[in-house]
Amino acid sequence: MMFEYLFSPIKLGQVELKNRISFQPHLTNFAEHCMPSERHMYYWGERAKGGAGLIITEEMSVHPTDTAYEKLVEAFHPEVIPGFRKITDYVHQYDAKIFCQLNHNGQQCDGSISRLPVWAPSPMPDVLFRETPKEMEPEDIEEVCRYFAKSAVHVREGGFDGVELQFGHSSLARQFLSPLTNFRSDEFGGSLENRMRAPLMFIEAVRKAVGKDFTLGIRLCADEMIPGGLDLGQIQEIGARFEASGLIDFMDLSIATFYNLYLVEGSMHTPLGYTIPLAAGMREKIKLPVFCTGRINDPVMAEKVLANGQSDMVGMCRALICDPFLPKKAFEGRLEDIRYCVGDNQGCIGRMGINRTLGCIQNPAVGLEKEWGEGTLKPAPVKKKVMVVGGGPAGLWAAKMAGRRGHQVDLHDRNENLGGQVLTAMKGAGRDEFGVIIRNEKDQVDKAGVRVHLQSRLTPEEILKANPDVVVVATGSQPKSHPVGGADGPAVFNVWQVLDGKPELGDKVCLIDYDGHHRASATAERLADLGKTVHIITSSLFVGAELGPTQDLYLTRQRLLQKGVTFTPDIAVMEVGGEAGQKEIKGFNVYSNQWQTWGPFDSIVLAMGQQVDADLYFALKGKVKELYRIGDCVAPRKVDMAIWEGHKTGRSI
Amino acid sequence: MAEKKLDILVILRECSDPRPPVRLMAKGAGIRDRGLRCLTNPADLEALEHALELRDAGVARVTAVAVGPKSLEDSLRLALAMGAERAIRVWNGVLAGGDAVAGAHLWQRVYAILRPDLVLTGNRLLDGGSDPAPALAAARQDLGCVSAALSLLVKDQEVEILRKGDRGSRQKIVAQLPCAILCEAGFKEPRYPALEAVVTATTQALETWGLEDLSLPEWEVGALGAALDQGEFATPRPDPLRSTTPDPSLPAFERILALLSGGIQPREGKMHFLPPDEVVESLMEIFQSEGLLPEAKT
Ligand SMILES: Cc1cc2nc3c(=O)[nH]c(=O)nc-3n(C[C@H](O)[C@H](O)[C@H](O)COP(=O)(O)OP(=O)(O)OC[C@H]3O[C@@H](n4cnc5c(N)ncnc54)[C@H](O)[C@@H]3O)c2cc1C
Ligand SMILES: Cc1cc2nc3c(=O)[nH]c(=O)nc-3n(C[C@H](O)[C@H](O)[C@H](O)COP(=O)(O)O)c2cc1C
Ligand code: SF4
Repeated sequence: MMFEYLFSPIKLGQVELKNRISFQPHLTNFAEHCMPSERHMYYWGERAKGGAGLIITEEMSVHPTDTAYEKLVEAFHPEVIPGFRKITDYVHQYDAKIFCQLNHNGQQCDGSISRLPVWAPSPMPDVLFRETPKEMEPEDIEEVCRYFAKSAVHVREGGFDGVELQFGHSSLARQFLSPLTNFRSDEFGGSLENRMRAPLMFIEAVRKAVGKDFTLGIRLCADEMIPGGLDLGQIQEIGARFEASGLIDFMDLSIATFYNLYLVEGSMHTPLGYTIPLAAGMREKIKLPVFCTGRINDPVMAEKVLANGQSDMVGMCRALICDPFLPKKAFEGRLEDIRYCVGDNQGCIGRMGINRTLGCIQNPAVGLEKEWGEGTLKPAPVKKKVMVVGGGPAGLWAAKMAGRRGHQVDLHDRNENLGGQVLTAMKGAGRDEFGVIIRNEKDQVDKAGVRVHLQSRLTPEEILKANPDVVVVATGSQPKSHPVGGADGPAVFNVWQVLDGKPELGDKVCLIDYDGHHRASATAERLADLGKTVHIITSSLFVGAELGPTQDLYLTRQRLLQKGVTFTPDIAVMEVGGEAGQKEIKGFNVYSNQWQTWGPFDSIVLAMGQQVDADLYFALKGKVKELYRIGDCVAPRKVDMAIWEGHKTGRSI
Repeated sequence: MAEKKLDILVILRECSDPRPPVRLMAKGAGIRDRGLRCLTNPADLEALEHALELRDAGVARVTAVAVGPKSLEDSLRLALAMGAERAIRVWNGVLAGGDAVAGAHLWQRVYAILRPDLVLTGNRLLDGGSDPAPALAAARQDLGCVSAALSLLVKDQEVEILRKGDRGSRQKIVAQLPCAILCEAGFKEPRYPALEAVVTATTQALETWGLEDLSLPEWEVGALGAALDQGEFATPRPDPLRSTTPDPSLPAFERILALLSGGIQPREGKMHFLPPDEVVESLMEIFQSEGLLPEAKT
């Protein structure tokens, strides 16, 4: 077998897993009225079907004061049990085990949801929620213990194989452990022993409630990575003491806090497997099975982590959101069929974090497994002749899905390569991995029997002559041709031209950022890497205004500043003037209305929006039997919508 | 001179053939024995050859004994074809699952019944295992035991043995009979039996001993008599490979940078424009100064 360690069994407590892959806990927002839902069942079931040995559910709340998110499942109500049973029965049919994660988020909560005060060890607001909590009284701590125990009983009665207590990046337990958030002077604060008291009480209460033979583990934050916080050395000691209590069966790990949330779900700007050193550090001290999670998105790397003894379990969260069948494909040696997560964070954390349901830019079926999951695609009753024009993400997905349904599909693109704008996007600094979106699909398009015609730019007449039953127009978008006065002047370029390396730029470059996303910032960084002096002017409050939800904001700004880029926010740019080498930007501050001029610059780069490329659509409208328009050529958006529409259209033709 | 002949007991064991790929059990924990190719342990056959040479010289009688199910009869018939006088297979279902202690118990009883002057067998099993039972049994029976024997010479009541020592050294040892000798593999070519002898051996009588022949109680042999419990098969738990764990004494900001760099420290590159010979020279210098190559010997 290709992956000896990965597919070897392991015991966590009394539970034997068939392999070392754990689908790590993550919120989905699939709960309905704070109860487990059918959507949960199909969602986790799909990953069980896909071959993961272990599934750990999203964090579930143990107490009414724990309201970090509006759609947390409230595990402290006994009414959750029937829903739990449905989920666990469904998952168990696929020979997978399922644990439930229980949590109290402490200060990392929003009291406006529960209309209760937020509880924490000390009255110290969290950096993200910024709400001053109530300092917990000893009775409150005992109440949380009782609620942990009560919820754990519901978990056991719900048919779960085990329970994991979240002591990681977002948890009351970590807040007790960390000198950063625990300033108490009673028996719950001060010395390490005292700081460990409450978390140990939670563990003891749960162990007592579930019995000796039920698997119980914790998810510990391996390094808070913040001044004054816990570091690996201290966590090793804490982990060793938890282990010595003899009450837990495994040690799952996470990293960081909400000060540095970008480390919890590292994006593509973080190296693959970035937490391996921490897991290895814990494994040196801990004899219990240790987990390693964090951008391990491929089985080869997973195997290596295990073979190197750096962990005993491999946690995959986004890798399996993106491709639930990764374990099965790896087991069968079909690595080329795996859809690798690219760490863009847009669909998963980028949606979940702002209270939308979980998604994935590359997997439209996330949360819709019942309707769109494996095995739901039906062969087309009538085989049609389908012509897809445009081989960007939208066109690729439409062609693939239509091909799989048995249609005769021809995909045309005027470029030499498939991929559309993604081929340009991946040239931004640190954005190479974005291109994997296309690499993932190329083989699949071939396997779906699609005939690909590159460098093929058909006129509407040629298309009509070929007489297809269906035409899917996915011709994408282009940068706006005239977004601002003077855009057609000398030494003014758009992001595409710059990333494709066409123009000669001078040393001093000004980039106008009306995008707020990577289109602008990754281009600016690329220019800085080339040794240019870059000045970004944006109309937003700050540079990178759209990068918050994907956790890219912090590191992007850090890198840009390290590379000497200057930021000017709040400016509406009205005109670009001057000759090459003497370019000027004129604009006004959107708050003070004061006009200002910047310059001189050698060149100007515009990231000021896209316009649709839909001429073909309008030329064909009313002339073909079935005509669809998808992706950026409907309205310029992002890859997620292009793939979504491509998938949906391909399925329905 | 009608001297008493030496009674030699040769122990034959079976081992798995390590050459064809083995198949793992469904969960990967253990080797599947169905379809596993087995052969007579080559070192045991060499021990047999030593014994047969003494027999050919007219000073010994050879008895081959194997413990195991019917499949071991192949090994025993081979021994008969090669020239052994007597072949005994010892088996009973309860003997399965034993360990070295249970095995030693059994062999001791065999020694005690047959009272051989010399016990010969292989020093190791081909499939990498060692089977200490014959040696342990010798100790229990108060017989001397010499391992790693390359050749032996019997003189009166003594046997002179050439042993393999460390790093190619050789050691000569004289042992009193009776004793047990474990022969090294690869130093003697076992004879190729004549076709006629092979045919004859197929019909020759084999003795089969059960527990009653040994008069050993069930609980002293096999799995019940084993001192070791068979543990569960588990994938090995490798020791953690040290990776560049961010130095905890560094401030958090630096630790984050260390994680993000994946342990790689970027350095500025330098361009060297030189004629080819000098490029080589300067490369060597760089490699040496970076500690990638040892200092040049002058
Ligand atoms: C620099 C940059 C960075 C970006 N970063 C991100 C990001 O981080 N995240 C994100 O989600 N999105 C990002 N995007 C946007 C994303 O790439 C697009 O939204 C997405 O590619 C749109 O897909 P599409 O298939 O609809 O169109 P396109 O990708 O534009 O593909 C259209 C294809 O149609 C072909 N075509 C057009 N007309 C014809 C014709 N007449 N005949 C034949 N072929 C034709 C084109 O050659 C092209 O290959 C970025 C875009 C750019 C330019
Ligand atoms: C949308 C989302 C929600 C998450 N919610 C939780 C959570 O509730 N509890 C938890 O312990 N970890 C949570 N995590 C962290 C993941 O378990 C995991 O550690 C992280 O995504 C890194 O792993 P990956 O690179 O395999 O995705 C979440 C991650 C994501 C992407
Ligand atoms: S949205 Fe992007 S980061 Fe999230 S799971 Fe999908 S591919 Fe991975």
